[in-house]
Amino acid sequence: MNLVMKNKLLIPISSMTSEENKTGSWRFLRPRFENKTAPCSAACPAGEDIPQIEMLTAQGEFKEAWEMILRENPFPAVCGRVCFHRCESFCNRANYDEAIAVHTMERFLADTAARYDFHPPAPVASPRQERIAIVGGGPAGLAAAWFLARLGFQCDILEAASEVGGLLRWGIPAYRLPQDALLQDVERLQAAGVGIFTNRRVDETFLTDPGSLYQAVLVATGYGKGQMMGIPGETVADVLEGLDFLRNLREGKQIPGEGTTAVIGGGNTAVDVARSVVRLGGKAVIYYRRRQQDMPAFAEEIRMAIEEGVIIQELVSPVEIERDGSHLVLSLQRMAVSGEEAGRARVVSAGGSSEAVEAQRIIRAIGAEPQEPWMAPPPAGPDTIVLSHSRIVLGKGQRPVLYTGDLVNETKSVTHAIASGKQAAIALDIFFHEGAAAVASRLAGCTVGDGSSQSLEIYLGGERKLRSNHVVGYSEINTDYFSFAPRIRQPRLLIEERRRSFSEIDLKISAGLAMQEAARCFNCGLCNNCDNCRLFCPDVTVIREADTRRINYDYCKGCGICVVECPRNAMSLKEEADQ
Amino acid sequence: MRRVIEGSQAVAEAVRLSHVQVVSAYPITPQTHIVETLSDYCEKGLMQARFMRMEGEQSCLAALIGAELMGVRTFTATSSQGLAYMHELLHWSSGARLPIVMAVANRALAPGWNIWADQTDSLSQRDTGWIQIYCEDGQDVLDSTLIAYRLAESVNLPVMVMLDAFYLSHTYEPVDIPEEADAYRFLPPYEPRFKMSTADPHSFAGLVPPVSYMEMRHDIALAMEDALPQEVQIEEEFASIFGRRYSALEAINCDDAEIVFMTSGTITSTTRLVVQKLREQGEKVGLLKIRLFRPFPTDLLREALKNAKKVAVIDRNFSFGTSGIFAQELRSALCNFSPKPLVFGYIAGIGGRDVTPAIIESIYQTTKSTATPDENGVWAGLKE
Repeated sequence: MNLVMKNKLLIPISSMTSEENKTGSWRFLRPRFENKTAPCSAACPAGEDIPQIEMLTAQGEFKEAWEMILRENPFPAVCGRVCFHRCESFCNRANYDEAIAVHTMERFLADTAARYDFHPPAPVASPRQERIAIVGGGPAGLAAAWFLARLGFQCDILEAASEVGGLLRWGIPAYRLPQDALLQDVERLQAAGVGIFTNRRVDETFLTDPGSLYQAVLVATGYGKGQMMGIPGETVADVLEGLDFLRNLREGKQIPGEGTTAVIGGGNTAVDVARSVVRLGGKAVIYYRRRQQDMPAFAEEIRMAIEEGVIIQELVSPVEIERDGSHLVLSLQRMAVSGEEAGRARVVSAGGSSEAVEAQRIIRAIGAEPQEPWMAPPPAGPDTIVLSHSRIVLGKGQRPVLYTGDLVNETKSVTHAIASGKQAAIALDIFFHEGAAAVASRLAGCTVGDGSSQSLEIYLGGERKLRSNHVVGYSEINTDYFSFAPRIRQPRLLIEERRRSFSEIDLKISAGLAMQEAARCFNCGLCNNCDNCRLFCPDVTVIREADTRRINYDYCKGCGICVVECPRNAMSLKEEADQ
Repeated sequence: MRRVIEGSQAVAEAVRLSHVQVVSAYPITPQTHIVETLSDYCEKGLMQARFMRMEGEQSCLAALIGAELMGVRTFTATSSQGLAYMHELLHWSSGARLPIVMAVANRALAPGWNIWADQTDSLSQRDTGWIQIYCEDGQDVLDSTLIAYRLAESVNLPVMVMLDAFYLSHTYEPVDIPEEADAYRFLPPYEPRFKMSTADPHSFAGLVPPVSYMEMRHDIALAMEDALPQEVQIEEEFASIFGRRYSALEAINCDDAEIVFMTSGTITSTTRLVVQKLREQGEKVGLLKIRLFRPFPTDLLREALKNAKKVAVIDRNFSFGTSGIFAQELRSALCNFSPKPLVFGYIAGIGGRDVTPAIIESIYQTTKSTATPDENGVWAGLKE
């Protein structure tokens, strides 16, 4: 037996539960859950909620992820293939290992939607009285129709050609965008109740027709006419225009491709033409007045073109075309770099005599312009509202005319055209609800982060509206919680097959690979319930609820550990006084 | 049952026999064999304990603090840097009055890196409120660990059991391992005086204002004081069950000795031989082994040294700026005592250097021939 203890065992024990001590009163900094804006989504012209899409994809929630795309972009099958994915250039993960293959994920979700015949949920708004006419069924017009339908408007697309799609149908070769992919996205428009009228060419009078059925007209006719080079001999036989050449191809016409084809220009049309020529069995040489790195065509397309055998001659400018018997002679002036302008080389003639090259045919693809002069938007005036991706002309007591897509966009891309269609649709909704004066300011409240694109979700007051506009930077990501993982490699047709066929180059990927790739996403600024905050909180104040977390401010001392340990900057810490 | 085992295994045997419920471990040479053996015992079901592999020594002790507050018997072992890393929580465990037992394989501190015997690691923790027992051999280690639980739980203070690196931790000796039933009789299951319970929630170890803190500290001082008579009682009981008798101090030939060696740990065994040899040569020499360092057995020391003229303290440790730590403690114990012997401090065996009979004999000769001790101590066996 031990002796009786002499000391009294005085120890500090509270007389009641320590929950009585509301340590939250000590706090002068207040952490809170605050979703922010991912740089990809701010960079996306369509403002897609990319971190959310990747999060859902990583969880195998493919239908939800696909619907998440549709909220901001009706054409995942198209954009998963032809969008130049500006998002990836802004991906924070690129600073860590490699950017997320966002476009591959979009394509996968579109493929999955087609495979399982997904249908989007019903429109969000109640039907409206106003009918809207959309002149031109290219990406801008189609997108506008989709968003107008979502907002409850009845709208009709008036398309001059035999099928809608515009550039998507006639201007992009099938190896990049097969027809069924386009149809997949267009069919959804019809299901949404959009009237599609093909072979319906309208003229200038349509805009002002007093007996019109429509309360507004959207002009979305695009840039359908190739520009002239302005050099002698440009109109002789076998000097073709790039967009015409591609249209003929897509119409299924027999196109001769043998021999050498000279392609003039450095944009996507030039590259598409050259790669098509290779597939027709010919030799394609691109002549471009600046350097290869200055070409406006997508770098990956240029890389693949070279792979397929396209030759690029840089720093040469066409001066004259002459026919010499069975072939054409193209005279070229050598150019020299004299400086830089807007990130590209400024070039001047290098002097010396011109060089002559022979070709079976010459295809110019140096740029495009509206098909007819009336399609171009009038200069800005007192009755004009100039927006980032569209222009509204109110007229004098007449119905508003909205110019969209390539007609107004600085960057002529499919996704910018979609952004334009969406902006025009939202602008019209504001116009009819609140009047012309409210359009610009209301739209300004719908931008994604610091980007120029608008979000329909934000306009409709969805969850995205609650997010901070702060665009999460790489330094704000806690990379301790991520490990290096290589970016998915896009499976492609073999080069041999690419050279002889118009079959789609990019192949499908499996659900497993898609989930793996999507799981690489940092989900910048977006809480995914990872529970780091809860695990690290020294005061056990992060409360776990079914699909959310909250802070018990009775006990939170404001130490900020949760904010530091959040891998993705989905929390913020501010002084109490600033709340 | 008598078996030839390592000092480390002797600790593990005692822990097994103590029915410890939670063991936390982080490996550090020369402590590793202790927790390795315990890990093996837990895995084989020889012990019904939760074995926790931690990410560091600080966590080891933190985990035991949590476990002890839930009212279970706990154990960990460490050494050198690991012990230093625990420092904050050493104060915490005594302040919270938790009867944790820890084995410390005494090892030198870095840099320069040295894994060999040196007591500076545990002695530099002397003010943390832990009871400290320094062991001489394998049997001492086993028995002291069992005794440590009784002592810790009798006064609600944590106990460190020290064994010299390698000389003891890795040396095989015959050790008598008690029977389960005898061990159980000596050390029944732990009955905590307080514990946490979700059924009756309280906050432990919270804020204590000046109006109460001093009383709580005084209460620890009382508990330390109380540990001395408790130890005597516990040793008595231990002797009655196992037939082996221990005490805070062991005095050999001190009654008529003019010069008395004061040692601790394994140096004691070597000194025993030297004292025997010197006695045979007619020298009036004695040996005082100090086993219990905290609480410091001042009265027992004074009693044992009342006839001595000189004390030669051999310290395998050093407090920079003063002297060897045992010498220092002895000086303060004798300060207000009269007549008192002269205290000669010797620093030997630092960083695992061998303390041979020749060194001990030379210490004796120096002490005998020197009239006034060097207050800073003399470094014995130092190379030129």
